[in-house]
Amino acid sequence: MPTTTRRARLRIAVICAAVVLAAGAGALAITHFGASAPPVTTAGNDVAGDGSIDVIAGLDNCGSGWSSSTGGPLTFVVNNTSIGNIDVYLQSADTGAVYGELEGLGSRASATLSAVLGDGSYEFVCIGADAPVTTGAQVSIANSAARSDLTPGVVPVTRNDLYQPTQQYSAWITAQLPVLAGGVADLATSIQSGDRAAARRSWIAAHVTYETLGAAYGAFGNSDTAINGTPGAGMTAETDPDLTGFHRIESILWSDQQLSAAAPFAAQLVSDVSTLETTFATTRLDPQDVGLRAHEILENSVQEELNGSDDAGSGSTFATIDANIEGTEQAVLPLRPLLADRGFDLATLDDWLARSTALVESFRGPDGSWTPLSSITAAQREQVNATLSETVELLAPIAAICDIRQGV
Amino acid sequence: MTGGLPRRSFLSGLVGAGVAGPLAAMAAAPIAAEAATRASEAQNAAGGASAADPAARIPFEGINQQGILPPPQRAAAFVSFDVTAATRGELAELLQTITTRARFLTTGGAPQTTGISAPPADSGVLGPEVAPDNLAVTVAVGASLFDARFGLAALKPSQLRTMEDFENDALRREVCDGDLLLQITAQSTDTVLHAVRDIARATRGSMQIRWRRDGFVSAPRPSGTPRNLMGFKDGTSNPDITDAALMQKLVWASDGEPAWAAGGSYQVVRVIRMLVEFWDRVNIHEQENMIGRRRDSGAPLTAVAEFDDPHYDLDPTGESVPLNAHIRLANSRSQADLDTRILRRAYNYDGGVDPNGNLDMGLVFVAFNRDLDNQFVAIQKRLANEPLVDYISPFGGGYFFALPGVQGARDWLGQGLLSA
Repeated sequence: MPTTTRRARLRIAVICAAVVLAAGAGALAITHFGASAPPVTTAGNDVAGDGSIDVIAGLDNCGSGWSSSTGGPLTFVVNNTSIGNIDVYLQSADTGAVYGELEGLGSRASATLSAVLGDGSYEFVCIGADAPVTTGAQVSIANSAARSDLTPGVVPVTRNDLYQPTQQYSAWITAQLPVLAGGVADLATSIQSGDRAAARRSWIAAHVTYETLGAAYGAFGNSDTAINGTPGAGMTAETDPDLTGFHRIESILWSDQQLSAAAPFAAQLVSDVSTLETTFATTRLDPQDVGLRAHEILENSVQEELNGSDDAGSGSTFATIDANIEGTEQAVLPLRPLLADRGFDLATLDDWLARSTALVESFRGPDGSWTPLSSITAAQREQVNATLSETVELLAPIAAICDIRQGV
Repeated sequence: MTGGLPRRSFLSGLVGAGVAGPLAAMAAAPIAAEAATRASEAQNAAGGASAADPAARIPFEGINQQGILPPPQRAAAFVSFDVTAATRGELAELLQTITTRARFLTTGGAPQTTGISAPPADSGVLGPEVAPDNLAVTVAVGASLFDARFGLAALKPSQLRTMEDFENDALRREVCDGDLLLQITAQSTDTVLHAVRDIARATRGSMQIRWRRDGFVSAPRPSGTPRNLMGFKDGTSNPDITDAALMQKLVWASDGEPAWAAGGSYQVVRVIRMLVEFWDRVNIHEQENMIGRRRDSGAPLTAVAEFDDPHYDLDPTGESVPLNAHIRLANSRSQADLDTRILRRAYNYDGGVDPNGNLDMGLVFVAFNRDLDNQFVAIQKRLANEPLVDYISPFGGGYFFALPGVQGARDWLGQGLLSA
């Protein structure tokens, strides 16, 4: 699998991912002729004499050069002797748990793979571009000393593994879209009625709904830009002539402008959400997205919300972040069994998600209004930064674990 | 008065007599004492010279922390954190985590491998293997840590408090104080930044950076004590760090402090802007009179070489070294002044440019001392309104108490405090 390029800015990520996928397809075509080429270096244990073990990765020979080890830190120099790209895994021969990987090791390239191994039976697996799999000889490690720094072994997550979670998440999104449609209809109605206070309340309610849907923004495509776009470089939500959607309306509702100026944008938003409902019904979520976005939704909050740059006057940053946390929980939800099976510490993550929610919601008053980001004290800001940043740290491994790998 | 009038007063038409009078009186105890400070020469040669072997390490464990006595390393970061941990237990975990990371980073080795379970544990800034590079991580606590949050009020070191505004200060409180100060020093800047990132990542939820100031120690130019950005050698008269009895007297906490504090030391950090453009427009004679030393050699104006005694007994009226020269006010070489010296570990800083188009650079003044009031504070008060104040502006820093060292594999920074 080519690595999906990631950007915290979710709508950009879609484009980048498409580019990389295309490049990956090119690579696949080139490496289709999966025959072996002669090794470019002499294979054998520790050619470099630095304690590393030289092993060969090829389609008729995977892992040769490694025949025995005692436990502890091991460094392999893996040389791809084939004429195509190869993914190389060092895994448990018993459970398939992976201890190290080299993705997309190019023909005649070599790279270092390090792991700290305890007792067990291990093997190298080499997977060529068109998916022939070669498994190397098993190497047993026994009687190794106990140590605290063993590399965690994780059973790879395959595309198949993500099928059901993606379906589950997609169904949740599908169920939320009518709520969103109702919300933007309320917004349009209250703008029509000329009630600015009601319009502001409706705006926050509808926007919060949209902000819970983060793991699907990639699939939303252009609809995301139309509905929740932010102003272009050097412009504001008020001045960007191309900006539509929530932030354009926000800039009117929280300004001196006539409320009626928001009416055409509200009508447009109703229409764009309706379009989204229609198109999403026939859109398939990329299975990679759920795990990736489970991490990145909050990464985006830290980058774009906590610096206040997405706020166009409503001061509802904490409402948005609160919704982003819920969106994160919704993205994690279908992945929980996969993650639990792989030793991921869900309990600690849950603690910090709850802590984040409690802290963020402490900035909501009894009347439902939210304290603007700019009004909190320096000490409160430190608490917010600490709590959300720690939570993002804990979410990051989800994307790493759910990176789709070829199961063996 | 040979010493220059305070420049700003002069410029604004005020006469400096009212200022100079008390200064003259204060410096009127011209008792010379011969105090050899050869050790500081060795200290500065070791600290300020060319980069050491990346494998060189300063032992992590000891009665005292590692970044107090050894010569300053070339690169430094001073990072002040506010603790966001919710409970005393979480504070203990935070200090344990800092200890674990500092132990690893200063010892070096291969970072934890994560396989496919997580992103890499290490930033990779130092390559696949972390070289210790004489890294020293020194942790100090600020007065605010002893507020109501963690139940530590009764355990506060006796003189620890929020740094007061001195006569010529322009403190910006957002870049002052803090619950915890990490002084991170190494031979190379990348080693320092790697450590800052590592520790901040490992402690993300438990503390947040309040302010940060990076510094560096210049190479000897051409020899002796490194120069500050005013062009003068800075720190020449430091006490001898190899004299354990002297260090006990001047640096390490003792009587009057809580039991847990033994082996710790009051740490003063003052981030001082130097108005270098203005300074560069001042005659060399005036510059040297303000400092009391020759700019080229570092020698006292009464002597030949850098480490020579200034022999104030031969210059009782300040004909050579003005009575309000910086070095004379700071240390008159009286026995009383010698007994209350501080251990300086100063760094230069370079902070870019200010809105006026002037360069923002200066000094991260760092001092360790046993008795804050009778050492640093007394000296600072003697320096009030010295002529030099027109060219400097202290704006950041704070008072901290450097924790005792870590002794043994099961010990951690602050264990004595948290277990008391």
